[in-house]
Amino acid sequence: MRGWLWILVVLALGGLFYWGMQRNPKELPSVLAKERRPAPDFTLPVLPPYRGEWGETFRLSDHLGQKPVVLNFWASWCYPACYEEAPVLEEAWRRYRDRALFLGVNTQDKEAEALRFGEQFGLTFPQVFDPRGRVGVDYGMYGVPETFFIDREGRVVARHAGAIDAATLEKYLKEVLP
Amino acid sequence: MLLALLALSAWAQEPAAPPPDLSPEVFAIARELRCPVCQGESAAESNSGVAVEMRRIIAEMLEEGKSKEEIKAFFVERYGEWILYAPPRRGVTLWVWVLPVLGLALLGLGLFAYFRPKKPLPPELLEEAECRLKEPPT
Repeated sequence: MRGWLWILVVLALGGLFYWGMQRNPKELPSVLAKERRPAPDFTLPVLPPYRGEWGETFRLSDHLGQKPVVLNFWASWCYPACYEEAPVLEEAWRRYRDRALFLGVNTQDKEAEALRFGEQFGLTFPQVFDPRGRVGVDYGMYGVPETFFIDREGRVVARHAGAIDAATLEKYLKEVLP
Repeated sequence: MLLALLALSAWAQEPAAPPPDLSPEVFAIARELRCPVCQGESAAESNSGVAVEMRRIIAEMLEEGKSKEEIKAFFVERYGEWILYAPPRRGVTLWVWVLPVLGLALLGLGLFAYFRPKKPLPPELLEEAECRLKEPPT
């Protein structure tokens, strides 16, 4: 009887250990996406090259409720992840610009370097400037790059941490596109 | 005169925003919050952009008269309870707090059972044992 109890205890501890080892410590929860919360609003200055088309400042709530929004947080110092995904995002934007809005949030960066990055990749989707990174905190962001997918009702449906590839972007876009 | 000069230099060094030296209270709260991009570092220790911004937000909220609990709730609202350095004492994470105490209690119990003074033999057995001791070996 006592022997069995010991075996059970050892098995239970072993099971707990195994379960713990299977968990991915890099998999971080996004409260916004999990609870499908309304996307936190913000107003940020638009980077100069995009002001002609989008105005001096960009208020997210002005654009919610029409098309789904792909919100991408990036920085010029985020190498290589941001450099890998920039062409992917630009390509998808050119393909989907009638059906979805892409918005880049340059985070904790210097304006001159942000502009150089935009030029390097020929980014044509609107870019806003958040040198403090305040909006990132509102979105529960861990680190750049991170991409949030907001549906037509203005709710955050998914969050992708790290560089996004074309297939993943496509998959999430299908989720938010009507 | 010296004092006035010191005061003047202190005033001259003060930048517009944000203040570089935050109050110790800011760090006390930041110490209880995780730095999102670091490994095992609190928002008080890290110099990463997010942690700096978190400290700035804490300072601003304190200035607005928010309490420590309100500030922590602000971050939990955005990051989930993951952001708290100490797991909350309820739900699943309550076990993290209870198990060590439980383990110690069990260990104590086991040690006590092992080392407790043995019960003396009943008197009739003792007598018999004494008799046998006295008997010359055959």
